[in-house]
Amino acid sequence: MLIREAQRGNRAAFEELVRHYDQAVLRLALHLTGTEHDAQDVYQDAFLKAYKNIGSFRFECSFYTWIYRIVTNLCLDHLRKKNVRKEDAPVAKDSSGGEYDLLDQVPDARAGANPERDLMRRQLGARISGALEKLTPRERMVFELKHYHGLKLRTVGEILHTTEETAKNTLFRATQKLRGALADMR
Amino acid sequence: MKCEWVRENIVLQVYGELADDARHELEQHVARCADCAAELKAEQEFHALLSRDRADDPLFSEPSPNLLAASRMRLQEALETAPQGSIWSRLAFDPANWLRQVRFSPALASAILILGFAGGVGTTYKFAARTDQIPLPQQPQTTPSDAAIAGIDSVTQEPGTNKISIKYNAVSTQEVQGSLNDQRIQQLLLYAARNNFNSGVRMDSVGLLTQKPTDTQFREALIYALQYDSNPGVRFKALDALGPYVKDDTRVRDSLLHALVNDTNPGVRTEALRMLEPVKADGSVRGVLMTLAAKDSSQYIRSQARTLVAQLPEID
Repeated sequence: MLIREAQRGNRAAFEELVRHYDQAVLRLALHLTGTEHDAQDVYQDAFLKAYKNIGSFRFECSFYTWIYRIVTNLCLDHLRKKNVRKEDAPVAKDSSGGEYDLLDQVPDARAGANPERDLMRRQLGARISGALEKLTPRERMVFELKHYHGLKLRTVGEILHTTEETAKNTLFRATQKLRGALADMR
Repeated sequence: MKCEWVRENIVLQVYGELADDARHELEQHVARCADCAAELKAEQEFHALLSRDRADDPLFSEPSPNLLAASRMRLQEALETAPQGSIWSRLAFDPANWLRQVRFSPALASAILILGFAGGVGTTYKFAARTDQIPLPQQPQTTPSDAAIAGIDSVTQEPGTNKISIKYNAVSTQEVQGSLNDQRIQQLLLYAARNNFNSGVRMDSVGLLTQKPTDTQFREALIYALQYDSNPGVRFKALDALGPYVKDDTRVRDSLLHALVNDTNPGVRTEALRMLEPVKADGSVRGVLMTLAAKDSSQYIRSQARTLVAQLPEID
């Protein structure tokens, strides 16, 4: 069994375990951090932490839950720090005094057959990203794990060390906030 | 009250999280209540809006094969030096595990017991027979001319005398001989392949490592050389030795992909591309090939990648 082998110090077994989970881990990190660089850092920290602590894994939950717990904790830390840093976001003022995000001005290199549709898609994407960033780190995490990763709320609760009921309430709050923030988009 | 309960549970309905009886109740109510039906429709549309937008966004789709391969390589490198497990958990005596091991290896357990007993008896006899003074090992009396001086630690003069003490570190050349199966030779080769500043020595070491690529440590060193060695000749040599394992060893595959995408030497990239051909249908290789075919800076790599992509079966 891979986990037992990895606990005995077999690095090849650990790397095999990494391969079972790392695509999902990288995807989660990428969604929540928003940049490949930060996602790679979270990926690296998560698996190094798992490697160092695999001896303390006692099979009380599935390995999947255990590794997700590590990643979500790292991502929550990242989101909390990001919220603190928001004041330093690259915001500039246009000629009329209105603020705009400098990142929105970076041209999108993807080829689009329909420039108008492409522009609308980008605007919608920016609005959704903005709405997601307004959620609390925990709401964001629950929404991410449920909506984009399709995890059961019971699993989400286990990962976040809480109950299924709390996860349900958090998901409800998150969707209410998102719908409120994007009410004019529908 | 009923409408309020429905509103609170519509999200769970959309995400398929309602228990069967609650779902049935909700559906029954929505069929009769126009307001709640409209609310359900709005929630479903909102759900679809979020999903549709993110499907188009590269950041929200699957991570690219390049990013995954690069992350794996970086992790492997970090694992080389990472200690595993807490000291207590590794030192802690686990009777169940110990008994299990003894049960499965009675011959080994008996051998250890006999050896321990014999060793104890032997040492007692030896100690009893040699109660006279045990000579101290001779201090090597090398002079500075015999060895290269690596550094002087301290220079002191005994007060009132002309006796001077100098503590220095010396580096002397040593030689070891043996076959490729010799553990000491293997350790030195692995060290030289990674650390030597002389690329000629690295080339010779990697050349010898290529004779035994089935050895896990040797293969690790070859992967390391392919990724990090500054000399293209060394990288090329490592690449050639790794090629045959591209089908069976995914780490080899990742390192070849890394070389194909990132190596600065066109020859190494071309060779990596050629060696990846047998696994071109693999998901990560396919992804990289498609990217290269679309926008690689080298015209040759672009055209070769296009040829390989054209040979791939369509994915429905």
